Amino acid sequence: MVIEPFTVFFYFGIFLAIIGSIATAWGPGVNDPIVRTFNTEVASIGVCLVLLCYNHVLALLTLLATTVIISLILFRAIIRLEEMGADV
Amino acid sequence: MMYVPQAFISMYLPAIYAGLIVGFIATMAIAIKREELHILILTDLVGLAMIFVVSAVGTDLAEALILPGLVVELAETLAISEILITREMRKIEQDPRANLKTSSSMFPQAFSLDMEIMTTAPNFIALVLIGYGIFLTGFTGGAVAGGGIVLYALSKKARGLPVLILDGVAGVSGIAWCLWIIGFLLFFVTPQYWLLALFLAACGLLLKVASKVGLIGLLMREDIDKE
Repeated sequence: MVIEPFTVFFYFGIFLAIIGSIATAWGPGVNDPIVRTFNTEVASIGVCLVLLCYNHVLALLTLLATTVIISLILFRAIIRLEEMGADV
Repeated sequence: MMYVPQAFISMYLPAIYAGLIVGFIATMAIAIKREELHILILTDLVGLAMIFVVSAVGTDLAEALILPGLVVELAETLAISEILITREMRKIEQDPRANLKTSSSMFPQAFSLDMEIMTTAPNFIALVLIGYGIFLTGFTGGAVAGGGIVLYALSKKARGLPVLILDGVAGVSGIAWCLWIIGFLLFFVTPQYWLLALFLAACGLLLKVASKVGLIGLLMREDIDKE
């Protein structure tokens, strides 16, 4: 049986998503919310690979755009809360 | 069976299992954590698990379902982060010992956008982007037009066009929903007018997405403009 290249990318995407979500949940240094937000990106790159294998172009573009905007919103919230002296 | 390629069928089970595993990890972490901000970040992971399960369908239906899911997740994150900030502000205001700084900024230092391109070019580029977005309609057009609004909102100091006031964003959003729902209804009631229904839904979606992206630009400008 010939292994198709996109199957490799598909399983690598699944692997990245699971590793990234474990890192976000229990990874090193996740008590800092900024580290936790960065770890989310690993999982979202895995999802991007999976969408690429499925030929979902529009969904892939939207996922990239919303990931950027969501991380901007989260950083804004984190920075504001830390400036106010809340325990995050 | 005819519409789904054979390769996608063999990828169905692994994708579903991966989605379930990611969702399980995320919900376990949410159950363990106490701080609201961390829970908000972990909610992202649940959204990723949702994308896995939906994308396993493997047809255009999956694409059509992923788009609104992502946009709703974006709006939800925006709203909840605002609620968290407001609640924390109120908590600190009621505590007499705490000193609340009146101005808080996105950037640690005063951040002024003093590039020449921010004062000369943006009017034209924003106009072109908004025009092109309206021409495209639908989701992509909304994103393009929203990019134009963000660019204009970020470069408010530019002279030329009168300053847009986007306070009526809520009203525009309501009209967009009405267009969308009417278009959706026409699809089922009178299928022979499908083109009209399609354009109603597309224009509604355009207004919706553009106003939402523009709102994010407005929020960021609030933070950046403070000296």
